Amino acid sequence: MKLELFYSPGCVRCAEARDGLKTAAFEIVADLDWRELNVLDELDYAVQLGVLTLPAVAIDGELVFTSLPTQRQLRVALSERCKKVN
Amino acid sequence: MGDQPGSRRKAPRPVTTYFFELPITIEIIMFTIGKLAGLATISTEALRYYEQEGLIVPDAKSDAGYRLYRPESVQRIGFIRQAQQCGFTLAEIRELLALRSEQAACCGDVRRLAVEKKLQIEGKIRLMKSMSKALDKLINDCSEESHPVVECPILAGLEKANIATTTGR
Repeated sequence: MKLELFYSPGCVRCAEARDGLKTAAFEIVADLDWRELNVLDELDYAVQLGVLTLPAVAIDGELVFTSLPTQRQLRVALSERCKKVN
Repeated sequence: MGDQPGSRRKAPRPVTTYFFELPITIEIIMFTIGKLAGLATISTEALRYYEQEGLIVPDAKSDAGYRLYRPESVQRIGFIRQAQQCGFTLAEIRELLALRSEQAACCGDVRRLAVEKKLQIEGKIRLMKSMSKALDKLINDCSEESHPVVECPILAGLEKANIATTTGR
């Protein structure tokens, strides 16, 4: 499973929340492919997914959070995705 | 945002202060809405609209009840108009203005808003390009200009698209 965190460079909120979210995500999916994408470097891809606000989170190429989720929200989203895949 | 009844600030009167025991009178310059509009090259209607949207607030009211603005308002209006030209909505400009006056805000906050605006613009460009491609197809389909209008492929194509949309197909 792939998780993409779109961020704007210099975003203090993104940096603050990142470590907690990453830990929470790996608790649910141990072999998660965690990617952090600078939106300015991946503009076309971000636009294609419909990213309009930052930070945003996509799971398996689908935009799931248009703002920073809480750790609990991320756990729930990943658990649901696991159920769908399996 | 607006002045509460009974709490209207009056136009500032000249202030007398002392410099080495010598009295000095300082005149505080204030502009009426018409004067401000003229200086900022904007209509008074637009200024009132900005006020209604909470982007600009009169600094005082004259004894006769006219709105009065400090000279810095000219700069503020310039900022609003520049931001509008960059595609920011009035609500977003309000956020930018709030960030500008917020002590704890940093450049990264403003940058994030600018990047989000760029994402919106890029999304619109993408949509416009796909619309342009769809029009190209319709234009190419209609190569015979002398067709009667009832046989016009452009109108037929649009009609087909309309049916597909309304029936969810």
